[in-house]
Amino acid sequence: MLEVFRANTRLVSIEMRRYLPNTISMVVTFYAVFLVFFLGITVVGSPETAAADTKYLIVSVVLWFLALVAMQSIGFVITTEATRGTLEQLYMSPVPTRWILLARMTGTILVHLVVIATMLGLAMLTARQALAFDIATLTPLLALTITGMIGVGFMVASLALLFKQVQSLLQVGQFLLMALVAVPISQSPLLELAPAVRGTSMLRDAMTLGASWADFGLLAWVLLAINSAAFLALGLLVYAWAERRALRLGLLGQY
Amino acid sequence: MSVIDVRHVSKSYPRRGGSAPVQAVDDVSFAVERGAVVGLLGPNGAGKTTTIKMICGLVTPDSGSVRIAGIDTRSRRHDALRHIAAVLEGNRNLYWRLTARENLEYFAGNRGRSIRSARTDVDRLLRLFQLEAKADELVSSLSRGMQQKLAIAVALLAATDVILLDEPTLGLDVETGYEVREHLRGIARDEGRTVVISTHDMPVVQDLCERAVIIAGGRIVVDDRVEHLLRLFASRAYHVTLAHGVGAAQVARLAAASEGLVTVEHVDGRASITADLVRPEDVYALVRVLEGEGAVIESLGTVTTDFEAVFRKLVAERAPGGQRALGQEVSHA
Repeated sequence: MLEVFRANTRLVSIEMRRYLPNTISMVVTFYAVFLVFFLGITVVGSPETAAADTKYLIVSVVLWFLALVAMQSIGFVITTEATRGTLEQLYMSPVPTRWILLARMTGTILVHLVVIATMLGLAMLTARQALAFDIATLTPLLALTITGMIGVGFMVASLALLFKQVQSLLQVGQFLLMALVAVPISQSPLLELAPAVRGTSMLRDAMTLGASWADFGLLAWVLLAINSAAFLALGLLVYAWAERRALRLGLLGQY
Repeated sequence: MSVIDVRHVSKSYPRRGGSAPVQAVDDVSFAVERGAVVGLLGPNGAGKTTTIKMICGLVTPDSGSVRIAGIDTRSRRHDALRHIAAVLEGNRNLYWRLTARENLEYFAGNRGRSIRSARTDVDRLLRLFQLEAKADELVSSLSRGMQQKLAIAVALLAATDVILLDEPTLGLDVETGYEVREHLRGIARDEGRTVVISTHDMPVVQDLCERAVIIAGGRIVVDDRVEHLLRLFASRAYHVTLAHGVGAAQVARLAAASEGLVTVEHVDGRASITADLVRPEDVYALVRVLEGEGAVIESLGTVTTDFEAVFRKLVAERAPGGQRALGQEVSHA
């Protein structure tokens, strides 16, 4: 499994370098999105809450990007591999494809963390706002949040496996993800059932208010762990079902 | 023990709109021994690709079983895949933005091998396929022939018992096609691996394959040694030249005299008759008809046949809906 992870992380980093214009345009797009919202806060927002609002915005935009990478990239991977003709080759590996995809997703997230760090730095510099970075709090929060996001990623991959042409759906999904990462968990108890909301809320509190892991309380951590584990398990189950169906209907080679 | 064992496999696909499903493969059985080179052939839409994909574990059969090295591809799919590698879409099986070497290393990693442990094999394969000089060039910049060779190298890197190649020589020039054929022959002869080739390129089958399994209409219509099929058809095909022409009524009588395909061409006023007979002894009946017509036979001999002709005849005769006997007349000014 380690070699599969290594090979896929290497593939992602090589392709990112070879498709450099795509990588640059991705950073520019997200920076532009941040600038639009930032200008909104500066021009029409209340001066008293401008600093807090800006911090909220920076973290939300960065988490949105993270959610897009974790939840949607694998859908694009399935679609692209099917178009290229390499999807069947992935399925001919003796290593189960779900582990190859997990390795690809993890590799993608790791490689994109560099892009995320760049975007975060750019946004903080532009807004002249500093965020809190308590590694002891952020590391488990990120790990748990990303775990749940990967579960949703497997559900998106299932759709892509069965229907292939899911780009339009993925584009609509971008706005849904924006809402999920921007809404605070305190808005409704039902949000506990949604993916990534608790994790991104806690991450935002840690980065904007400087909350440490102890400040969240045991219940918050337990709820986050249950939510993430449940979405990962559900994602893997849905993917296993979609894979069986794709093999039965002979959909792997189709685009 | 057979390294590939396909038993009573059937597969149908649902049609859009809920109408009756399409029967792609219907009760297909065959086995391939270790170290053999076998051609899996058939016209378009015959069920060949579905059969290949069921062997590769990429399509689940509705019924029947496929075993690779004794392992069932349905219940132990991933274990079975340790014994088979395939080139299904030629150069499309590669990552075009990666170099030749990076492609080999990526696919080795995906099968659980480290770059370090695969390095010796990667170098050996690059050398074997004469791709050393292009090892660090992007696949997108390689010629089609080089891409095809690299795709085969990727499959070989897996070091499996079985290698399945779909159209390995498609779109290659004569020289590269020959080179690929020599490599495949070497793999079977020197490494004892089983090679299954699916192709429409019949000279490749004639040159490379010991055995041909022909599928038509979702069923196996022929499973025999290539050499035997060539001999069988060579002894059935005759060519007769007359000193004069024949009319349409005579052509019909000739066709009726034997079971098989009789074609008549007129060149410079002479009838040139080619008879491909189901029973070789029918040649006597044909000669008797010609004698009865008062024909003057200038020459009579067997026709040298190639596998392409054999394949066409077999499919025409044995495929569901195929015709067994025809009388045709072709005239040349």
